[in-house]
Amino acid sequence: MKTAADLKVNETAIIKRIDRSHPSYRRLLEIGFTPGQEITLLNRTLFNDPISFSIRGTIFAIRKEEASHIFI
Amino acid sequence: MNYTETENKIPLIAIAGQPNSGKTTLFNLLSGRNSKTVNYPGSTVEYSVAPLLPKFSLKAKVIDSPGIISLVPSSIDEKISIDTLYSHPELGKPDVIIVTVDASQLSRHLFIALQLIESKFKIVVVLTMTDLLLKKNFNISAKKLSETLKCDVVKLDNRTGNGVNEIVKSVNKILVSSHNVSEVHFHSHPSFDKDDLLLNSYDAIGQIEKDVLYKVQSQLSETELLKANEKLVVLNSEPAFLKPDELTLKLDRIFLHKFWGLIIFFIVMFILFSSIFYVAAPIMDLVSEGISLLSGYTVTLLGDTWYGNLISQGVINGVGSVLVFLPQILILFLLLGLFEDSGYLARGAMLIDKPLSLIGLNGRSFVPMLSGFACAIPAIMATRTIPNRRERLLTIFIIPLMSCSARLPVYALLIAFLIPADKPVLGGLVLTFIYVISVFSSVLIASIIHKIVSKYSRRKDSSFILELPAYRKPKLSNVIRNSYRNARHYIVKAGPVILMLSLLIWVLTYFPNTEPQVDETGKTADEIILLKNSERVATSFAADLGKMIEPVMKPLGLDWRVGVSLIAAFAAREVFVSSLALIFKVTDDGDLQNSILSSMRNATFRDSDQKVFTISSTAGLIVFFVFALQCISTLAISRKETGSWKVPMVQLFVFTLLAYIAALITVTGFRFFGMA
Ligand SMILES: Nc1nc2c(ncn2[C@@H]2O[C@H](COP(=O)(O)OP(=O)(O)OP(=O)(O)O)[C@@H](O)[C@H]2O)c(=O)[nH]1
Ligand SMILES: [Mg+2]
Repeated sequence: MKTAADLKVNETAIIKRIDRSHPSYRRLLEIGFTPGQEITLLNRTLFNDPISFSIRGTIFAIRKEEASHIFI
Repeated sequence: MNYTETENKIPLIAIAGQPNSGKTTLFNLLSGRNSKTVNYPGSTVEYSVAPLLPKFSLKAKVIDSPGIISLVPSSIDEKISIDTLYSHPELGKPDVIIVTVDASQLSRHLFIALQLIESKFKIVVVLTMTDLLLKKNFNISAKKLSETLKCDVVKLDNRTGNGVNEIVKSVNKILVSSHNVSEVHFHSHPSFDKDDLLLNSYDAIGQIEKDVLYKVQSQLSETELLKANEKLVVLNSEPAFLKPDELTLKLDRIFLHKFWGLIIFFIVMFILFSSIFYVAAPIMDLVSEGISLLSGYTVTLLGDTWYGNLISQGVINGVGSVLVFLPQILILFLLLGLFEDSGYLARGAMLIDKPLSLIGLNGRSFVPMLSGFACAIPAIMATRTIPNRRERLLTIFIIPLMSCSARLPVYALLIAFLIPADKPVLGGLVLTFIYVISVFSSVLIASIIHKIVSKYSRRKDSSFILELPAYRKPKLSNVIRNSYRNARHYIVKAGPVILMLSLLIWVLTYFPNTEPQVDETGKTADEIILLKNSERVATSFAADLGKMIEPVMKPLGLDWRVGVSLIAAFAAREVFVSSLALIFKVTDDGDLQNSILSSMRNATFRDSDQKVFTISSTAGLIVFFVFALQCISTLAISRKETGSWKVPMVQLFVFTLLAYIAALITVTGFRFFGMA
């Protein structure tokens, strides 16, 4: 299944679900990464990690590992 | 009607909200305080309390709190923070909570407001950053939001302070009406742990957002937009989604660029640290000259008596030798502040997260480490924003290696000794190089510890989630005020220590042989004074003391006098400079710094003509200061933040030993390559 980490720069997608078993699951929901929400990948830095996303008018940097548990 | 103290308790107002939502800005407006406000999520880590300004004619206490994302904590430090919000250890439960909601990120910030309402707190919602919302061509209806949330909603313009009075009015209304306070639900509140409910509240928020936000005409300039404010034409009743700030998106293309992002990062760091040296130099000369003049006057006034000596040497030169470096420290704070308030620091944290995670640290360690270059104490406190405990402890462990501003006076003096005054570029480079060593060694030590620790346990719950705030033009007035406060803090805190130790060292170097006998034949009056001075020191208490530690100093190519200064520096590093000034009996010709330097150049060992300060021994000293943990306050804060003496004691032992060994290697190395 495709995850947020697979998005290209400037590509937008809708979040389907987030892996419940991931330790950051709750925190991601709390900051607004909720299913049905639109996210756009903005920047990948040198190591492709962390990645920045735009969501609900805010920019967040999260690790690639975390992004790969956000299914789109 | 105003709420009065009928209940023998002064009402308590807490300000809470998401990180970077403008809590401290509001706190300052309400209390007249000057707490640090900076464009980085997590700038406040401690609760602070102040009475409301008298002009609001409401007797109440207001609390500023660290930003919270949710009432359900996800780290120990977050839990402490949230528990304190529910019930402050000294002040108890807040009567009203003012929730700051960044209107330009409405849905995310309403989340915490809803949770607080659900916990049955009495809240007033304050909409901040409405100017940024207008820039995104949106406006918000406070009235509608107030109807939906069933609580007062006030728009705050933080530039003019417009809205503060309404906030106080709303708070007062709640205080008056809530004599029969309903019990606050604690955060074991069942709903908070259920994901479905969490999702429901976001659904609800989505609906609210559609209701209260409306699009406005975009062609107006910002000032026009602000003026027009509520009356703007509603162009489009269709709900549209908030997008991040356009300029921020563009700038991030550059600053977070795969290649250029990193280059810019290093250039910025280089400019930051090298300019400390260049920018401050002319100001320092002025201060230095002023102090010598003063010290000269006292000698002419009081003569070469013991009290004349005490005041000119013990007080003026002792304390002055440290004050000389205040401009450098001020500039460091100023630059760091500008940098923090622009919003770039969060990008720095992102860029460096990957490399840091390889050595057991976190991108969130970056800002604490960087502020460690100013002072280790706030830096260690700032580590509270690192959720993972092991990463946090490791960050605390290495922060004393960051070259704090108290080391600047020492480095500046020693560099001035090594590098001729007509080569300032070289001096700046050496200073930058010192900073590079300090970073490298901390990386090395962190990775060694990380290796060892991960052998024994392999817990992997490390995470990095950081909001990248919109770029902003730094508020110069804020930055200047912050730097001024820091510098004053530096003087107030370090000043008495420096003064007392200066006096102590003066006593130790002046007694018991106050009137030494010297051969005066054929010498000028000045030469006699000089000779007496050095004879007095050589037969003083300090000399007796120093001779005991001489065996340790010898291998470093240094004598007992430097040894005494090094011991004094364990109370606070800057004391090293004032101690040198006293022990080497600076006489004033020219400015203070130059006379310290010339005394250093002339200093020889007791029993030979061999110079004490050589290239090798001075470089060794610099290296010693890079590693040594010579700061009592750092040990104290490290104990407080880690919860035991274990970490600070290990830090003290490891870093001091390391300092000695590294200095020894440096001295030997320089000698080996023929640079005595
Ligand atoms: N444009 C604009 N900037 C604001 C406004 N209010 C605050 N700021 C700026 O936003 C930044 C964050 O403000 P703070 O008051 O430090 O926020 P905080 O909620 O205390 O942040 P933390 O302590 O990190 O949780 C600072 O740079 C402020 O100058 C506002 O209404 N408009
Ligand atoms: Mg704050």
